[in-house]
Amino acid sequence: MLELRIHGYGGQGVVTMAELLALAALESGLVAQTLPFFGVERRGAPVKAALRVSDKPIHIYSQSVEPDFLVLMSEKLLDMGMNVGIKPESNIVLNAPANVAVLGHLVYFVDATGIAIANGLVTDGVPYINIPMYGALCRLIGIEAEVALNVIKNRWPGKVGEKNAAVAKIGYDSLKN
Amino acid sequence: MGTVLDTGCHAVAMAVCNAKVDVVAAYPITPQTSIVEAIAEMVEKGTMATRFLPVEGEHSAMAACTAASAGGARVFTATSSQGLLYMHEVLHMAAGGRLPVVMANVNRAVFPPWSIYVDHQDSLAQRDTGWLQFYCASLQEIYDTILQAFKIAETVSLPVMVNLDGFILSHASMPFFVQEQEVVDKFLPPFEPSWVLDTTNPNSFGNVTDQSVYHLYRKMLQEAILASLPVIKNVAKEYKDLTGFWHGDTFEPYKTDDAEVLVLSMGSMAAEVKSSIDMLRKEGHKVGALRLRLFRPFPADDLAVYVAGKKQLIVLDRNHAFGNEGGILFNEVKAALFGKNNEIKLANKIMGIGGMDLNWQTMAAEIRALLED
Repeated sequence: MLELRIHGYGGQGVVTMAELLALAALESGLVAQTLPFFGVERRGAPVKAALRVSDKPIHIYSQSVEPDFLVLMSEKLLDMGMNVGIKPESNIVLNAPANVAVLGHLVYFVDATGIAIANGLVTDGVPYINIPMYGALCRLIGIEAEVALNVIKNRWPGKVGEKNAAVAKIGYDSLKN
Repeated sequence: MGTVLDTGCHAVAMAVCNAKVDVVAAYPITPQTSIVEAIAEMVEKGTMATRFLPVEGEHSAMAACTAASAGGARVFTATSSQGLLYMHEVLHMAAGGRLPVVMANVNRAVFPPWSIYVDHQDSLAQRDTGWLQFYCASLQEIYDTILQAFKIAETVSLPVMVNLDGFILSHASMPFFVQEQEVVDKFLPPFEPSWVLDTTNPNSFGNVTDQSVYHLYRKMLQEAILASLPVIKNVAKEYKDLTGFWHGDTFEPYKTDDAEVLVLSMGSMAAEVKSSIDMLRKEGHKVGALRLRLFRPFPADDLAVYVAGKKQLIVLDRNHAFGNEGGILFNEVKAALFGKNNEIKLANKIMGIGGMDLNWQTMAAEIRALLED
């Protein structure tokens, strides 16, 4: 079983992204679980969600405290994310334009904000960073690009889906460490 | 339909849609969950040919449900925590009136202080209202149990409460299988009530009784609840034969056969505790787990069979039996086993109150501390 814990801010689409990842896992013949953590629900407040992916039925429902991947939608969430729980072998995935060194952990990064802005995936001045990050995470957990993009096209049929899928593909190809 | 990825709340709504419910009455605001939101949306879209009654409180919701049920309708409602407590008076009406209302309750802690997270105090506080009670441990089980609940309720003329852990099961998204409508129709034909309230043929219902009659009705209620056990088992088996899905009827055992110690619990913690059992077995402890699926009627005879020859039974409670030692499940177990198996040693731990996270490592540590070697 693979476990991801995602930290972001309310309004960044963290829960939606976790659901898209779960769908992509399901489409790949795996079992998945998203476990959103509900606290104070406000735009801009820190939020988190867990995602578990497995090739066997999942009967674990507890909060994620030792994720295989700690996903941070902003560098500013690094300390908070690490304080919630991490294990020595956890990898970190950052939304950042360049890599940030974290002692003892392998760090992947993708410039989700930059990709969303460069490709016009912005509404009311807010970039949809969850879409490029979704693409990057799909690659990380071994989802084929075609499957990843089809999930988006099915979720938002038509032009919207095409545009989002194209940006997800850029995210898919941009993950570095 | 096939396999979908959705939340526990939506699993309830999809089952209610498949059950072709006539009336849903519900209070739509907090502590309500997205169950009735999803149902209202389907009614609005025309996917469900159901009369949706948004009422001003849970007390009214259950009142509307009992009235609609007495009128011969297939009825559903959903609630959670304070909403269920507010219904309490009318819960007696549904059970005493022998009305087959089905309700989903999302288990959440009760006030005060405020908490929105899971424990089992809300539904266990309704223990003596006469409702049958199920506790689920997966999204698939939620969907399947709602369908079974209608069949059981209408067969034995008793209301059924299906419980699911707040946030853990209600808001988690996981894949579950939704049956084709024809399959559900075969399992659950339209409700044919043995009597209905009918304005063209007026009858009195729930009238004033004197002492010589009242106690007979209460006795009949108790007998009907106890007699529902074989029906519940048959319905679970029939559902399995038709769909292949099986979650146990009264209990779901896990590695119990060669175990010396059994760990009993309910809800999602009873799913995760399987990993605790695996861990403790690797350490050499002969342990197994029992998940109680049916709390009312309490399957005392089945429990006696499972624990026969075992050394110890550890009960994990996600509630308090205020004013008595231990949790409510623990007290139920003591009552059930007294006179049947007085050799077995019992232990109890109250945990996971108000959403305190219960992971399998923590539960394994608690179980290890309670083991009597």
